[in-house]
Amino acid sequence: MNNSELKQQIKHLLVENLMLQTTAEEIADDIPMFGPGGLGLDSVDALQLVVALDKHYGLKISDAEAAKGILQNVNTIAAAIEQRPQAAR
Amino acid sequence: MNPRVILITGANGGLGQAMARSFLQESPENQLWLGIHARSDQAENLARQSPDYCRMIALDVTRPDSWKAAVAEILARHKRLDVLVNNAGDHQDALLANMSLDSWQKILALNLDGVFHGCQAVLPTMIGQRHGRIINIASLSALLAPAGQTNYAAAKAGVLALTQSLAKEVARIGITVNAVCPGYVDTAALEMNEIERKRAMERIPMRRFGQPCEVAAAVRFLACGEASYITGSTLKIDGGIL
Repeated sequence: MNNSELKQQIKHLLVENLMLQTTAEEIADDIPMFGPGGLGLDSVDALQLVVALDKHYGLKISDAEAAKGILQNVNTIAAAIEQRPQAAR
Repeated sequence: MNPRVILITGANGGLGQAMARSFLQESPENQLWLGIHARSDQAENLARQSPDYCRMIALDVTRPDSWKAAVAEILARHKRLDVLVNNAGDHQDALLANMSLDSWQKILALNLDGVFHGCQAVLPTMIGQRHGRIINIASLSALLAPAGQTNYAAAKAGVLALTQSLAKEVARIGITVNAVCPGYVDTAALEMNEIERKRAMERIPMRRFGQPCEVAAAVRFLACGEASYITGSTLKIDGGIL
C-alpha cells in the first residue's frame, strides 16, 4: 500500500470508528485532529483511535506524549504507521 | 439471546456462583470464565458440570499482570470479551481507631483497586468491539456506611464514583458501566450470629435476607441487550432498607 492509499484508509477508519459527521473525502491530510478549526476530536475519540490503530495496523502508542505527536493529523498518523517496528506488523 | 463471553471475578463465593449459574441459565452456550484466587472448590464443581461453557481462570484482581494474563487467555480462545462482573471483594471490620494501616490498604486494594485494574484490562478489547458491559458489585455500605467498615465502605463508595465516571467516558463507544449494591444477602460471607441476624432483620422492611439469585438476576439484567440505555447507574438490592 502506498502513502496515499494508507492516508485514505486512515480517513475511513476515522469516520467509521469515531462516527464523524463528515466523509473521508472531506478530511484533509493536514487538518488538526483536535482543537478549533480541526476535526474537533476529544480525549474519548483519542482513546478509540489509539485502540483502532493498534487493532488495524499494530501501531502501539504507549504514552500520552507519543500520542500527542502521532495523533496530530492524518499525515503524522500515516508516518507513524510507516515507521512502526517490523515486529509489530 | 446470543451467547456471550463473560468474566466473573470472585467466582468461588456465594454471589459469584449464583451469577455464574444465572448466566448459564440465560443461555447454556454463554462462555463463562470464573476468576478464582485463594479458593476454588465451588468454582471447580461448576466448571466440572459445564466443561464446555465454564472455565476457571487464576486471577489476583489486585495485580495488573494477573489481569493482563487472564484477559489474554480469554481472548486467545474467544477473540472477544462481552461482560466483566467485578465481584471479588472482602471485608475486615474494625473501628477506625483500632484499624491497622495494613487492613485499610488491603481492603482498598481488593475492593477498589481491583475494579480499576479490571476495567483497565478489558477496556481496549471492549473499545475495539465497540461493545461491552461492566457490572461492579459494590455494597449497601457504600450508601449507608455502618460503624466498623470505614475501609470497606470507603472502597465501595469509590467503586460507585468510578462507575459513574467511567460510564460517562465510554458511553458513546457502546460500553455500559453499572453498579449493584446488595444489602444483607444470605451467603457465607455474611458471618453473623443469631442475635446479629435478628437485629439485622429488624432493619429490613421485607423482614428477610436477600438470596444470591436475587442479586444475580439484577446483574444478568444489566448485562443483557435490553439494558442498553442504562449506564452509570447504581441499583440497590436491599429489601427496602434505603
